[in-house]
Amino acid sequence: MSLQILQGTLDLMILRTLATMGAQHAYGIASRLQQVSDDTLNLNQGTIYPALVRIEQRGWTRGSWGKTENGREAKYYAITKAGLKALDEETERWRQMSGVVEKLLAEEQ
Amino acid sequence: MMRLRRTVAKLRNLLANKHAEEDLAREIVSHLTLLADDFERSGMSAEEARLAALRALGGVEQAKQAHRDERSFLWIEQALQDLRYGLRTLSKSPGFTITAVLTLAVGIGACTAIFSLVNAVLIRSLPYGDSSRLVYLYTPNLQFKLPAEVFGPTYADFYDLKRESHCFQEITAFDQSIFSLASPGAAERISAARVDGDFFRTFQSSPELGREITPDDNQLGHEKVAVISHALWQSIFGSAADVLRRSLLLDGRSYEIIGVMPQGFEYPHNTDLAYGESQYKTTQVWIPLALTPQQMADRENARGNAVARLKPGVSIAQAQAEMATIMVRLDKLHDPQVRGWGALIENFVDTAVGHVRSLLWLLLGAVSIVLLIACSNAANLLLARAAGRVRELGVRVALGAGRSRIVRQVITEVLLIGLVAGAIGVSFAYFFLRILPLFNPGNIPRLNEASLDLRVLLFTIAVSLFTSALTGAFPALAVSRLNLTDVLASTGSRSVAGAHNRVQSALIVVESALVVVLLASAGLLVRSYLNVESVNAGFSQSTVTLNIGLDPRDSQPQAVQFFQNLFARLQALPGVETVGAVSNLPLSNSDDLRMFAVDGYPNQKGQLAEMRWATPNYFSAMRIPLIAGRMFTAEEKSGVHAVIINQSFATKYFAGRNPIGGRISRQDDPAQWSTVVGVIGDVRHNSVEEPAEPQIYHPDMEFGGGYIAVRSSLPAKPLAASIRAVLHSLDPNLAAGAIRTMGDLESEASAPRRFQTSLLALFAAIALSLALVGLYGLMVYSVSRRTREVGIRMALGAQRGDVLWLVLKKAAFLLAIGLASGLVASWFATRAIQALLFGIGRHDPITILSVCALLAVSGLLAAMIPTRRAASIDPMQALRTE
Repeated sequence: MSLQILQGTLDLMILRTLATMGAQHAYGIASRLQQVSDDTLNLNQGTIYPALVRIEQRGWTRGSWGKTENGREAKYYAITKAGLKALDEETERWRQMSGVVEKLLAEEQ
Repeated sequence: MMRLRRTVAKLRNLLANKHAEEDLAREIVSHLTLLADDFERSGMSAEEARLAALRALGGVEQAKQAHRDERSFLWIEQALQDLRYGLRTLSKSPGFTITAVLTLAVGIGACTAIFSLVNAVLIRSLPYGDSSRLVYLYTPNLQFKLPAEVFGPTYADFYDLKRESHCFQEITAFDQSIFSLASPGAAERISAARVDGDFFRTFQSSPELGREITPDDNQLGHEKVAVISHALWQSIFGSAADVLRRSLLLDGRSYEIIGVMPQGFEYPHNTDLAYGESQYKTTQVWIPLALTPQQMADRENARGNAVARLKPGVSIAQAQAEMATIMVRLDKLHDPQVRGWGALIENFVDTAVGHVRSLLWLLLGAVSIVLLIACSNAANLLLARAAGRVRELGVRVALGAGRSRIVRQVITEVLLIGLVAGAIGVSFAYFFLRILPLFNPGNIPRLNEASLDLRVLLFTIAVSLFTSALTGAFPALAVSRLNLTDVLASTGSRSVAGAHNRVQSALIVVESALVVVLLASAGLLVRSYLNVESVNAGFSQSTVTLNIGLDPRDSQPQAVQFFQNLFARLQALPGVETVGAVSNLPLSNSDDLRMFAVDGYPNQKGQLAEMRWATPNYFSAMRIPLIAGRMFTAEEKSGVHAVIINQSFATKYFAGRNPIGGRISRQDDPAQWSTVVGVIGDVRHNSVEEPAEPQIYHPDMEFGGGYIAVRSSLPAKPLAASIRAVLHSLDPNLAAGAIRTMGDLESEASAPRRFQTSLLALFAAIALSLALVGLYGLMVYSVSRRTREVGIRMALGAQRGDVLWLVLKKAAFLLAIGLASGLVASWFATRAIQALLFGIGRHDPITILSVCALLAVSGLLAAMIPTRRAASIDPMQALRTE
């Protein structure tokens, strides 16, 4: 089974990834998402770019160029304080939302 | 907050687009490299890894575009693209662009210029506080067949009105005087206002230096003080700071300067008062009115101008009703012989600008028509070009450009054209305003203050946008209806061109109809002007005249002596034939109307005639012909009652009788009769355009001041110089007014007519040339569309003449419809200029026929040029086009 990304959840997933793993480049984030989903997430890696620029413009991450372990250059995104706060809020919102959905589905059965 | 932050970031990206784009490219390369590294590590070859990385990323360009859409304002980016594209396409067809821009620039420039005039004269507020509450007070008397504005209240009435009315916040009385002002070097004549203590308060204006004239200054014995204008302060005192410690010599009397008014306050202007001093454009000095107790109690003769400021919330009608009630009582206090004094209150601003309001609206109407023609011309050009670009646009649609995007592209181009045209139009208007004062007809208040202020510029921007909208509407509509399959299927663009063609033809019809309206109006005005020019005013144009008033410090015998001396000296000048003098010269805006009675005529109350005092040589100096009887002779004693009347007087009061020997009474002494000794030709006094009024001339053997008329065989200029030399040798301190020929006076009097006629003619000429350019353009376009058709026809044996007619037929047809609808429109539209016509009706057939001929001939000529090209098409080449 392959999963489509739910509208608006990509921002949350990226923020969570950065909060857990520290600063990461786009490839790192994409790999992490695929890994976590056990490769069920159908993600063209290019699709995370709009989310990255959106989050950065909101001030939730800060991008800077650096080197990978293998000496390749890459743009690293680090989560900011505002990003951490936003992560909390977004997480809370997601929990509430998925709770509601869960509840509805439970009642159906 | 968050939204704002993103907006700022987006805007920054818009500006720093290049940096963002490079950063993104670098990031994606790095991403691909990292992906490829991992794939290689899992055992792929380098090439395999690179392809796998590309697959995993899922479309580099899509990722980039998604990033772009997210990071910046898409619509602004697209607008910028449209703009760049528009600039590129416009600069690729400079002929089209320049024509469209210049056409619109002419229209916008004309509109801006006239609007700046309207703005200065009608919209910009007067510098007198809330001027909408200022009013003039009159006490008209229906007995006299004279305009109400002639009668300001007498001083006794004025002070009673001031005491009894409750509608006015302030009320002031003032009068005007002309003075000789002694200044270093030479004396000059200036116009002064003699004002009461409430004048400056009523106008809510105070001096920039010193103080205003107070009620105390109006006490007799304290009245030798003066407030001067900013201009006078500059010209005579060189803006000296100690001006308040200096004094002014008016008619030889010294006045202490107590104040300097700020620039812009020069009330009353010659255009402010309907019957004020009109020789001098502005007022330069204000001195106390300082009435004597007798003058203040005078209910019959001494009168001034009255201006009041209404209390807030009081309407003119209310004030007028109150004033009428008071006047009913005051009228009973008047001389029982002359009663019937009423009340009239008029809006101050209307009095100042009312007479030019309709002219300015007329001009604005004319330039709007010019602008409409310019718009339809530019629209036509755009349509023609859109038809030529149908394939280009079709291809863009096929490549995925949205329909709205294409329309937006067209609108962007039109806006570009409109705004550039607006900028050029403003510079046209600027030059127009620079030369406008040279044509100042003298009757438009504050014409010289017309300028391109913020309001005018906003107006221009609005007009430019409106123009763009109007111009772009048709092409945008045409493009939005573009049918992709039709375009790509057809070899040419005939399908679309057909619809275009109808709109274009309709535009040409509208244009020529509008041109007919303008041409007819201008034609009627030109004919009126020629009629006015050909009027015989009754005097010689070449007579040189001047106005001399001696200081009152000269006693009467001294003054008479002075003038006798002057006449003798002038008579002795080489080339001078006759020297005469009169109390009121024609076209000099001075008049003296008096009551009289004619023996043996059913005299009516309040019948008035123009009363003049003239020296015996006056008539021959002015070449006014004698019709019956005799002229005055040198032996005529002043006080012996011989009078000369003019033709109009004889016709009206001596109908069927011999006027010679007839008797006329004098107003001041009804018992004393004068005897008519001669009848002279009619003289138009007030204006060349008004028929002559009845006149009575009394002999003046002791001339003590007024107008001098000199007839000479010399040209006017050297004669004026020698007259000045004579005056200077007699009295170096004497200020003589301008020395002008009667022709100069006539030309000055017809200046307003010349102004409106030439402006309207100019606009009509512009409109005509724009319409001709439009017609020419359409014909070029339609000939190029029909090249193939013409080629086929000629290959099949059509003659050159047939082809010529085939193409010309259409132009002739459009012109005919335009002419016909234009004539119908003119039939009604010329009502707007009815009041300005002189000597012709507004449906004058000669004018209408000339207009038709002009448009038909010039229109066919404009159409002929491209048509001849069509007729000379080589069939073989024509068949190969497209």
